[in-house]
Amino acid sequence: MDLSHRTITQIGRYRDVNLTGVAPDTLLQLYRQMLRLRRTEEAMLAEYHPADDMRCPIHFCIGQEAVPAALSLHVKSDDYLFSHHRSHGYYFAKGSPLRELFAEIYGKATGASGGKAGSQDISHSETNFYSGAILAGAVSIAVGAAFGFKHKATRQISISGFGEGCTDEGAFWEAMNYAGKKKLPVLFVCENNRYATFSDQLKRQAQDNISERVRPFGVRATTIFGNDTVLAHQTIGAEIERLRNGDGPALVEAYTYRWNSHVGPEDDGANAYRQPGEMEFWKTNCPIVLLGEKLVEAGILNDALVARYETEIAAEIAAHFKFAKESPYPTDTNWRQMNYEDASPLADKLLGVADGGGNFDQNQAEAKLGPY
Amino acid sequence: MSRQLSYAKAILEATDQAMSLSPEVIVLGQLVDTKSGIFGTTTGLVDKYGPSRVQDFPVSENLMTATAMGAALTGLRPVLCHQRLDFMIYSLDAIVNWLALWRFKANMKSAMPVTIRTIVGKGWGQGPQHSKNLQSWFAHIPGLRVAVPATAYDAKGLMLEAILGETPTLFVEGRGLYSMTDHVPEQPYRVRFGQAAVRREGKDLTVVAVGLMVPLALRAAAILEKEGIDIEVVDPRTIAPLDRKTICDSAFKTRRLVVADSTWQSFGSAAEIITCVVENLGDKLKSKPARVTLPDSHTPMSRALEPEYYPDENDIVAAVREAML
Repeated sequence: MDLSHRTITQIGRYRDVNLTGVAPDTLLQLYRQMLRLRRTEEAMLAEYHPADDMRCPIHFCIGQEAVPAALSLHVKSDDYLFSHHRSHGYYFAKGSPLRELFAEIYGKATGASGGKAGSQDISHSETNFYSGAILAGAVSIAVGAAFGFKHKATRQISISGFGEGCTDEGAFWEAMNYAGKKKLPVLFVCENNRYATFSDQLKRQAQDNISERVRPFGVRATTIFGNDTVLAHQTIGAEIERLRNGDGPALVEAYTYRWNSHVGPEDDGANAYRQPGEMEFWKTNCPIVLLGEKLVEAGILNDALVARYETEIAAEIAAHFKFAKESPYPTDTNWRQMNYEDASPLADKLLGVADGGGNFDQNQAEAKLGPY
Repeated sequence: MSRQLSYAKAILEATDQAMSLSPEVIVLGQLVDTKSGIFGTTTGLVDKYGPSRVQDFPVSENLMTATAMGAALTGLRPVLCHQRLDFMIYSLDAIVNWLALWRFKANMKSAMPVTIRTIVGKGWGQGPQHSKNLQSWFAHIPGLRVAVPATAYDAKGLMLEAILGETPTLFVEGRGLYSMTDHVPEQPYRVRFGQAAVRREGKDLTVVAVGLMVPLALRAAAILEKEGIDIEVVDPRTIAPLDRKTICDSAFKTRRLVVADSTWQSFGSAAEIITCVVENLGDKLKSKPARVTLPDSHTPMSRALEPEYYPDENDIVAAVREAML
């Protein structure tokens, strides 16, 4: 059944997290990955303004940890992942180096993009992670990578992470049409968090789900309660397996919620866009809490293990902050080189130099365009 | 006897040779796999290289460009074909927000060798939505190369250079040039970006002519020669990068400048060319620089107005005479 943000709060306390059939190690990996992402975002939130050293827009993803954690267990290093502006979760999911994320946000030369892109445009091409802030554009490029994989008959897949706001754009539907028609190995991951900035999906669209609209394009779609990490893990894992076997494309629509403002740490409550009781519902159903309590019940997780994770993660974050702060700022101002690749090794190898042409006869009539 | 090929055939030959030289080269575009093949520039490629390398595409111009970008990230070298530049406008997001800045944003660690062929119509009532030349828009954007070949020789060499190079390239083809032949060597060869050609040497005035205006400028030169005016004709061949040095060297020699460009006047490439000359040797010019361009108007359909709208060699002759006074 398709979910709806209109009715989802009627679930109350979500109690369906089901650990059956998932190895304890896997469950702990999911838990630890979420905790690591949450603590990273919290640390950045706390540090964002006081020192004013992170001078770029950051779209925090607290509350939306389940999908990135689930993805991280299934994405391979040679798969490509394309994210929207709320990029940190996907950066985690791709296994890209965290210290380079920190350095990027600080605008340092050691950043993933050399300090040129920041949080919302970060890429780390060594690990095939890319992002960008103009929404459906990245979804379209992900389709192109899937086209390349299919053309080369590899088992690689392309993953596109976005929010429901992106589906307002026509480019998104061009992408659905083509991916479905060509059966491309691309996984569309829609984290439906209801709001495009402050605008409710139902102010912009006739329905508040994406899944039922992509199916007629030939895109298989599953909707899930997006804070159930085990469900996300199983759904995404199964879809990725099918994609690797040539059975694509697929979309997973995960209903979830961002706890923070659209951008930055300030409270955006003055815009009064959230529904009464909504934040309480989603905080009650925090993905880390939902998984954690089941793991404790099952005897897989205990206070000592959580404490160990917390210590390890705190040390890691502190090291990344230190690295970012101590790294040098970029100094290169060779603007031309930054924007153009003048070297052309393939052309050098394959092309010769010809005689320079003869005398062009200018007295030729222009092409006569026939009808049409 | 030199080997003569039309502009259209030269583009076909360049694409064919690029596909033959590199298995990563693919061609995407509406109707590229049909017999008529984009006015004959892709005809037969699908038979030779198969449907996986020569693919028709839905009328989804933005996605087509994005698909080429993603494919390029996997190692492919896509060539996109737009039968009319006007349709390409749907892909502005992909070109301007993504393709042009990919290298910059990735801190020079990622390249997107994508070639976008786009054809500018002229004549037979193409009207305001089948004839726009927006070359200047794209030359304005960092990260893109813009080729405006005027001859079959340059079309082939620049096309090969674009496809096998590493910087995304917009390839602006004047449909009026399609039937014009030129000497075109059979071997695959390169024409470098940012290297203008001096089409005719002269001493009295420099005409910088772009794209479709090159043959017209040469015709104007023949007319002016009879009046004792000896003009030099410089063809930039690419407007991004622009060979400012060759242009300025020529203007320094002749001390007079007329720019003939096949796009609108205001904020166009002609303005940039004049600016670069004025910045470098404005106080050395003997007359005011002049532009011969399309008027700042959309293209009329009526055959009564088309000749009024498009400048011809007589307009260039008039501008040169004025500058020589």
